[in-house]
Amino acid sequence: MSYILSFFNFIQGLGPTVMMPIIICIFGIVLGTEKGKSLRAGLTVGVGFIGLNLVIAAMSSNLGPAVQQMVKRFGLSLSIIDVGWPAAAAAISFGSTVGLVIIPVCLLVNIVMLVTNTTQTIDVDIWDYWHFAFTGALVAIVTGSQTFGIMAAVLNMVIIMVIADYTAPGVEKTLGLPGVSLPHGFTGAYAPIAIVINKIIDLIPGVRNIDINMEKAQEKFGVFGEPIIVGTVLGAIIGIVAGYSFGDVLKLGITMGAILVLIPRMASLLMEGLLPISDAAAEFINKRFSNRGKMYIGLDSAIGVGHPLTLSVSLILVPLTLFIAVILPGNQVLPFADLAVIPWMFVLITPVVNGNGFRALLTGIVVLATGLLISTNLAPLMTSAAINAKYALPTNATQISSICDGANPLTWLIVRLNGIGWIGIIIVAVVAIGLALMNRTRILKEALELKQVNDKTVEMN
Amino acid sequence: MKRILLACGSGICTSTAARVKVEKLLNDNGFEGQYKIEQCKIAEVASKSANFDFVIATTMQPNGVKCPFLSGICFLTGIGVDKITKEILELMK
Repeated sequence: MSYILSFFNFIQGLGPTVMMPIIICIFGIVLGTEKGKSLRAGLTVGVGFIGLNLVIAAMSSNLGPAVQQMVKRFGLSLSIIDVGWPAAAAAISFGSTVGLVIIPVCLLVNIVMLVTNTTQTIDVDIWDYWHFAFTGALVAIVTGSQTFGIMAAVLNMVIIMVIADYTAPGVEKTLGLPGVSLPHGFTGAYAPIAIVINKIIDLIPGVRNIDINMEKAQEKFGVFGEPIIVGTVLGAIIGIVAGYSFGDVLKLGITMGAILVLIPRMASLLMEGLLPISDAAAEFINKRFSNRGKMYIGLDSAIGVGHPLTLSVSLILVPLTLFIAVILPGNQVLPFADLAVIPWMFVLITPVVNGNGFRALLTGIVVLATGLLISTNLAPLMTSAAINAKYALPTNATQISSICDGANPLTWLIVRLNGIGWIGIIIVAVVAIGLALMNRTRILKEALELKQVNDKTVEMN
Repeated sequence: MKRILLACGSGICTSTAARVKVEKLLNDNGFEGQYKIEQCKIAEVASKSANFDFVIATTMQPNGVKCPFLSGICFLTGIGVDKITKEILELMK
């Protein structure tokens, strides 16, 4: 037994680039994928990890010194680099111990919730389990216990599944996607906040009647959606502020543009490797749970990003976020790689505010400003998680964060509540289980009504 | 040679899932080597679409698309794949 354990410790010690290919390959074979295909899938994941590692190293070694120069010259406090969600997903989620078991654990949670009628969502979006693993990995660091980490990931998922069920009718109406819900760890966290802000605006006379037409914005701000331009311009500006020579400004600009283009390519390899596993897992639960009354298929909220309001507001918020980052007291994060994922925040905000441009923009400013403070607060944890996963970080003690999951209010709440000890852990558990039970009552009531309607039609015939 | 643009929210996740399935579908129907697929973010579709024969997106249609647009959400749910298969093969002719 001790031989086996020391073998596992040895493999894990080699880091995610070795461990993940082995794990993915084994998962593939267990789920019935062919051996050759599983091996290739595992190796592709390895390629993704190596690629991301290279790009992130290039980003931190180029951007790190420039940011420090900038801080020194102007006393700006933006010293934490936003390395982006692909780094968070790879380095922290799938590179952590919680990440190792996240796929089977989340599949099990979904099955238990379906059987107990506490959800109507069949979550086939295996890839986005990483959001739950991210929360779990940070909790594991805060508490020093992998068990608490896994528990936190499970509770995070339960909360998100309930939010997905509740928002599904809005998704159908506003986004035109029937039969689909969005159990997405990042998007889902913003739905309750949007509901509260929307209610508050409803109470203020005058303000509640304001709406802004966002149709023209997509054209005008379209350039902020192109990573190659955003990266190059932002890199050049940082170079200028850092007092670089003309040649070095150009170099930094082109390098940063390259990095924003390359990060998604690398993450795409990671995704491609996980695909056979995710297909097999999706088929496994789809086959068993597809005929249980009204069901939703849980998808990545990326499918709602194309909504014109979501897209327009996010594009306007790219320059606005940079501005807020500079003026917001207490913020130390320099927004960069995750400027591209602002649309994900809005996929569920858009249905909640009923397509109102003013409300969407206001909600966006509130959550982004709060998000910057949250990601400043979580940066030390994210940095040590990345170091645990053997990621190449700049030597000059730069911290990393992300304004996607590193700024997620739900993740932050769960992590910090776990940090205060048993009471916090119990609060999270009570909230998650309470929400699940509320959802169960609603589902059973709905099923009963559906049945009565059906019975009536039968009688009439 | 047909040029196909595959878009999703990030140009990473769901578009990769759809790309792998579209490639298999096209190869199974004898179109191997007769197409070129590029992935991108949905925000880039409006500016890029003029250079492509058609676009498949795993998200809703944004404004300003300048070529035929197909919704690829069925590649994620597995429901209604037959219909889009027919449409894609029609556009490949």
